[in-house]
Amino acid sequence: MKLGNLLIAGLVTGSIYAVFAVCVAVWYRVSNILNLAVGDFAMTGALGVDYLYRVRGWPLPLSIVGTLAVVAVFGYVYDQVVLRLAQDGRRRQEGIVITFFFTFALSFFIDGVAKILFGTDVHAAPALWNGNSLTVAGNLHIERAGVLVLGCAVVSGVMFALYIRYTLSGKAMEASGENNLGARIVGIDTRRYRRIIFVITAVLAAIFGIVESPITGFTYISGATISVTGFIAAAYGGFRSPGRALLAGLVIGIAEALLGGYVSAEYADTLLYAILAALVLARPRALGFESAIGA
Amino acid sequence: MITLRPKTQARAALLSRQGSLGGTVATTGLVVVVGIAVMLLFGQQYAGSVIILAFTYAIVTAGMAVQIGFSQQIAFSQAVFMGLGAYGVALLNAHTGMSSLLAAPVVTVGSGLVALLLGSVVTRVSGLALAVATIMLPLLATGYVSSANYLGGSVGMPLTSNLWSGATPGATVVGDGIVTVAVLGIVVFAATRILSSDIGLELYVLGVDERTAAAMGVPTARRKLELFVLGSMFAGLGGAVYAGTQLFVPATLVSPTAELSLLMMLFVGGRRSILGAIVGALAIQYVSGASSWVSNNILVVEGVLITVVLLVDPEGLAGIAATLTARVRGRPAGRGVVADAVVAAEPGVPAEATAPAAGRQASDFGRTWADRAGGEDRPGAPLLECAGIDKDYGGLQVLDKVTLALPPRGIFGLCGPNGAGKSTLLGVIGGSISASGGQVLLGGADVTRMAPQQRFHLGVSRTFQAVHLIHGRSVLDNVAVSCLGAHRPGIAAGIVRSRLAEARGKAAEALDYLGMGGLSGQEVSGLTLESQRMVEFARAIAAKPRLLLLDEPTSGLSEPQRDRLKDVLRTVGEMTCVLLVEHDLTLVAQISQKIYVLATGGLVFEGTPDEFRQSEVVNSLLVGL
Repeated sequence: MKLGNLLIAGLVTGSIYAVFAVCVAVWYRVSNILNLAVGDFAMTGALGVDYLYRVRGWPLPLSIVGTLAVVAVFGYVYDQVVLRLAQDGRRRQEGIVITFFFTFALSFFIDGVAKILFGTDVHAAPALWNGNSLTVAGNLHIERAGVLVLGCAVVSGVMFALYIRYTLSGKAMEASGENNLGARIVGIDTRRYRRIIFVITAVLAAIFGIVESPITGFTYISGATISVTGFIAAAYGGFRSPGRALLAGLVIGIAEALLGGYVSAEYADTLLYAILAALVLARPRALGFESAIGA
Repeated sequence: MITLRPKTQARAALLSRQGSLGGTVATTGLVVVVGIAVMLLFGQQYAGSVIILAFTYAIVTAGMAVQIGFSQQIAFSQAVFMGLGAYGVALLNAHTGMSSLLAAPVVTVGSGLVALLLGSVVTRVSGLALAVATIMLPLLATGYVSSANYLGGSVGMPLTSNLWSGATPGATVVGDGIVTVAVLGIVVFAATRILSSDIGLELYVLGVDERTAAAMGVPTARRKLELFVLGSMFAGLGGAVYAGTQLFVPATLVSPTAELSLLMMLFVGGRRSILGAIVGALAIQYVSGASSWVSNNILVVEGVLITVVLLVDPEGLAGIAATLTARVRGRPAGRGVVADAVVAAEPGVPAEATAPAAGRQASDFGRTWADRAGGEDRPGAPLLECAGIDKDYGGLQVLDKVTLALPPRGIFGLCGPNGAGKSTLLGVIGGSISASGGQVLLGGADVTRMAPQQRFHLGVSRTFQAVHLIHGRSVLDNVAVSCLGAHRPGIAAGIVRSRLAEARGKAAEALDYLGMGGLSGQEVSGLTLESQRMVEFARAIAAKPRLLLLDEPTSGLSEPQRDRLKDVLRTVGEMTCVLLVEHDLTLVAQISQKIYVLATGGLVFEGTPDEFRQSEVVNSLLVGL
């Protein structure tokens, strides 16, 4: 019974990691840039909806659409202005600067703007599916928001995995990241893929932030933590495969819940991080880092 | 035809500054004098405390410029070591009553020891694996510190002793400031010395291209560990100064956010410049305290600041400053060099490069080389023996029982269709690829299990199929990489003594020998492909190898260029053993003593050039008759 409830709790936390891991992995695959602002888009989604709905008194559907539109437009503009200058200019930037630092800076910027707009308190978007927690198989409990979260994670991970595996444009997207110049030579507009996937993952993160916020709540600086967990889970998924990122996120979430339930609630996170670090050091190749090191 | 933009030039100037003691002293002196003046003038005002904090961070970021900027590897470890230093001082202060000033060196050594332990595990991986493994450090440390009561938990830990105890509070602040500046001065001196020494050149190459570094004898694993320890010691020292000046160690000092802001300072200032790292720390600290609007919206300001700076120049403020200086001065250093190079590189370099045999002082280089290469104690015995070399990747057999033996002198061709395993065989002989079976003997000694670095020191040198030069450094420095001697001393030896001038001297000899002396000062990315190949060739021969492995040296060269290279190779073949992988069969047949043909991993032919020309096997495989 305890095990069952822990597994459910782990799956819900795990799907939070998983969605962000999928967003990080998919965009890294197309652009070779780590999106360390992915959590900040989630925060923007949650706090934006809360702001429009609760403070401004907009109807909920309009608040959601409005927030997502703002995120999409912002993502588009950021790509057109900053990433275009950084990556498409005459002196194309490569290496650790572009891989890490532009999105670091973006994360700072979004957090700063959110602080001005939304203040520093904890808020959440309203729950989308109201009601008591569901009871399954006797007395296992799962919150309704948790079901949505899990659903979102699985749908987005599977969707991207299928997209890359079975569609022509998915292959083209993959080629963009694998060999940018080569892809451009055969007529793939790599910049367009980078832009589209950036906007899609930003919006997806924002949607997920809205769905997930009733469980955890958000402040203007919650984004960084989420990005880090997404980054870590994406890492264990080999950084390039959305399917593996999804799986890695779920496994990490379950491991965290089990450690908390059976070993030590206080040191669950610490233990988890130590195990994760040991794994990278012991088996970098098996985890798929070899292919990712080119960054 | 070679027009370096001011930016490229400025970068070359920025990165390959002369390794003189004078320059180091000047940089250190500048930091110390300005720092002390600022302390005396503003020490007792609010600005003083901001500046002390900025200098404290600068101690850490100067170390990061060496550790991260040069190695091009992100390790999220500095905040944790800063915390280690700060909590260390606080603990010593609380439990033994040791003063902060005395505790600082103790915790710095302690940080070094911890870093040695941690680093020997962590630095085995690189790239994103290193980033992921080390991002756990601040997460772990935050979790640990916030529940450790003896460290004050999530609040933090107070201290009672300042770095400097003055008679009045004002004097204490100024004293603290001056001690901080002095510590920063020591750090700057050490870091600048290391970067401008031969070790600095090794670190640079290591950061840009680890494979080339290994092939040129740089002890890569050891240098990576040393970098980690050095950066961690500076961070520990910075933490000690933090504790001693702020009199409080907040738990947030070890948080991921603290780590990120340290990285921000480094990258805004310029990741590969010591002065830049200091300016970055000052700029961010100053901006945060500039006005109440800014400090309320610091995240927005920092986000915009770093985006703009990195868009303008990935080398940060230091890069921008260098570009501006170059513009203002109208590129003084560049002009002459560029003009020379145009003269030399246009029909050029290698026009002279045909001359080594007839060379003047050049013959010295040739003679000592011939002495070294020929000075083996087993007359008549082969230099290189490959016995039954196998290589498979999973189920794919790339090399199949390859056996060959080469004498100490002469040119030996290795031909074969694409995918025959030629480059793999070179890799196995050079050490960059490990054989699945068989033995490689060099002068009778088994080197099969040796790393490329060790084999380089035994006299195995190579070029790559695609040119692997170190962009951002001069031709001279590119060649000097292979002349750094035994590469034995530790990183700290760079502080005491630089062997860079020595190595550059040897590199100049090799360049003169090839008639390329005129190119020495050029930044390599501005060179033609032919010149780049010749620079790589010069790098390969500068250490006077006993065995020279050349991987398609003529690919991409024109007919006249090939002829010039052919003459150079003939001369070199009289001094040493050359194993030449090449698709130009005419050239191979003209200059080789013996030719080997590899097909799908196995040797299918070996013989003289005449036999090679007549062989049916060769014709069917390589000529398609």
